Amino acid sequence: MDTQILYNIFHQDAFGLNIAIYFYLTGLSAGSFILSTLAYSFGMDQYKSIGKVGVVLATVLLVIAPFFLLIHIGMPHRAWHLFVYLNMASPITWGSFLLVLYPINCIIYGYFMFKGHIKLTRIFGLIGIPLAISVHGYTGFILAFGKARALWNTAIMPILFLASAIVSGIALMILVCIIKDRFFSKEKKINQELILNLGKLLAWMIVFDLFLVGSDLIVLAISHSDAQAAAHLILSGKFSILFLLVENLLGKILPFILLAVPGFRRLTTVIIASILVIFGIFFMRYIVVVGGEFLPLL
Amino acid sequence: MLIDLRKCIGCNTCAVVCKSENDVPLGVWRSWVKRVEKGKYPHSKEYFLPIVCNNCENPICVTVCPVNASIKRPDGIVYIDPHRCIGCRYCMAACPYGVRYINPIKKIAEKCYWCFHRVDAGLKPACVLACLAGAIMFGDLNNPKSDISKALAKNAIQVIKPEIGTEPHTFYIGLDIEAVEAIKIEEEK
Repeated sequence: MDTQILYNIFHQDAFGLNIAIYFYLTGLSAGSFILSTLAYSFGMDQYKSIGKVGVVLATVLLVIAPFFLLIHIGMPHRAWHLFVYLNMASPITWGSFLLVLYPINCIIYGYFMFKGHIKLTRIFGLIGIPLAISVHGYTGFILAFGKARALWNTAIMPILFLASAIVSGIALMILVCIIKDRFFSKEKKINQELILNLGKLLAWMIVFDLFLVGSDLIVLAISHSDAQAAAHLILSGKFSILFLLVENLLGKILPFILLAVPGFRRLTTVIIASILVIFGIFFMRYIVVVGGEFLPLL
Repeated sequence: MLIDLRKCIGCNTCAVVCKSENDVPLGVWRSWVKRVEKGKYPHSKEYFLPIVCNNCENPICVTVCPVNASIKRPDGIVYIDPHRCIGCRYCMAACPYGVRYINPIKKIAEKCYWCFHRVDAGLKPACVLACLAGAIMFGDLNNPKSDISKALAKNAIQVIKPEIGTEPHTFYIGLDIEAVEAIKIEEEK
């Protein structure tokens, strides 16, 4: 049947770029934090030198991130309502507490790390891991609760967000470590073995992330009609170039090849792969947030 | 609320009177009439679909509001406390019907709440009163003797997107599936 819409009303976008940036920054923060605990809480001594970089990055990024929320909301001077009028069913309420507890824990953890207090660092690192997982996982729940949007309303969303958080966190860590060693350390020498180790870790996290994106996509493509429309949108519609080419080919598959093939394993390829991953994950957040609310509801 | 689409002539009176009753700013609407054409001219027909808030039994906007600004009243009307809303837009993201908007002047979320200020005073919502075809019916669903309860019992009724599980309270008679989903048909082209 030929059907045409002659007149309809569409209201403003609900989330948009600010929220995508916020999700991206919390992801980078959670990823950096988890990496920094590898040495100090789990005793993987080869990663000892990234512990301090990780905690500084995690704290700074998480202090910046909520400002994007304040820009986004219409009444920023009413933000205190979030701590007074609680609705425990809403993921944003969970988040308003996590966004307070997590940076405080980061600062305590970092303080003991710089003081050299190994035991307390270990304890606050272990406390921080569930907080870091929650502070990024809850953003996945924010989207998953949008039950009219097929791209968001999936149980895989929190874990998908966590996987991409760790991927982007490792990539950022590699770049920051290189810059720190090259320009700010005493020896001005890059710890090549550490960078290549992180590169290997990054490669396997990319595989996990690709697996999650793939399983999400397969289920979307055979699910109900809204889900099929969403799959259509990111596979052949308006977001297909961003999704297939930028996010997945340039942002995941190409870096994986650069990192995993032994012949390519050099410092320069790790740097290129990390830069690609950092951009790729940003577009992943953008596609999920903006693409998810792109399809009209009525 | 029950909207009889067999009677609707698509005159937009409900949309206009809603704007003036509720002081809705330019660029946003609490109610509007979606207009869909089916078939190819001259063998075509226009369908009208007046959209208002569904004031759902199980409203997702109330579930996700982080500050309890969206509240479901005991009589079933879902409204937004203008003094509490922080304008985070989560309700707009979650609403399956796209009826919420950010007031460009007040920067808070607003939507149709069946003119509860009029209902509380014993009046009918503005759109019900203004509809010149008498297509919109409003009343108490708990009272089996009310006109709306009788009409709901007698007619084949439908709601928009029943599969979402929000249990809308805005019912339609003669709702066309393609008039609701036409946007997907356009997307696939």
